[in-house]
Amino acid sequence: MSSSIGEKCTQIKQEYDGCFNSWYSEKFLKGDASPQCDDLFFKYKECLLKTLEEKKLDTLLADARKDNPFPASSSTSSASSSSEPNKKN
Amino acid sequence: MKFFETTHKFEHNWAQVTAGNWMKYPNEQCPHVIAVDVLERSVDPETGVLRTERLLTCNQNAPALVLKFLGGSTLSYVRETSELDPKTKRLTMKTQNLSMCNVLTINETVTYTVNPQDESTTMFRQEAEIVAGSSLSRFSSYIEDFCLTRFRDNAAVGRKGFETVLEKLKVARQEAHQQLEKAHSQIEKATSQIEKAAASATATAAAAL
Repeated sequence: MSSSIGEKCTQIKQEYDGCFNSWYSEKFLKGDASPQCDDLFFKYKECLLKTLEEKKLDTLLADARKDNPFPASSSTSSASSSSEPNKKN
Repeated sequence: MKFFETTHKFEHNWAQVTAGNWMKYPNEQCPHVIAVDVLERSVDPETGVLRTERLLTCNQNAPALVLKFLGGSTLSYVRETSELDPKTKRLTMKTQNLSMCNVLTINETVTYTVNPQDESTTMFRQEAEIVAGSSLSRFSSYIEDFCLTRFRDNAAVGRKGFETVLEKLKVARQEAHQQLEKAHSQIEKATSQIEKAAASATATAAAAL
């Protein structure tokens, strides 16, 4: 499993990855989308966000998100199937 | 501006390829990807689409001239956003470079879809555009060419690396399947022993009454 950008986050990140990977194959792809790894993800994210701040990547990310919002438009749920209102120019 | 486009067929079904996609790194062929982080992840309650935003940390070697223009650091960051629709079986991933994007922009779109001719295989399509900013002036074409070549090389080793990952997963699946079968037969054996023991205990108890 891949490392995290923050050395101290790698362990919790890999725990989360393990949880997600089994959820993806055993639940999600079989039609059960109910969350299973939220606790681990929150812990991992807490660590990750701190690291991103330390490395000053948070502003870089914020800019990228402003330029290319994801999901593509502000209307989260209206983007059904494959419609992609992402092309701005 | 330079364009890059390629397609490939993976000899694994869509579920296996997309599951493997989350485990693509690390692999021996792509040592330049040193970290992969999940920034956001959610399932759209209406469409069932799984959305993921990730940050890839890469360490690239580049000629001195390229490095000079790109800010001197070999570390670079890539933001990847993906939408995975389990119903239509389509995974679309878009990546853009976060660092040095004022001088150079690389936008990549990758899709994984079921091969309509053979559902046990998966179609892969990769498109990228590379644009060097005007600040690079007369070097922009050189930088674009360098990045295009580098991108093409990385795309090829990336695919190879992913194939290795998918093969390993296949072997692991087969091993897990064998172990499961073994465990099943052991359980069956144990169950029949317990049943026998219970039957004889019941008989003994009945006789004692």
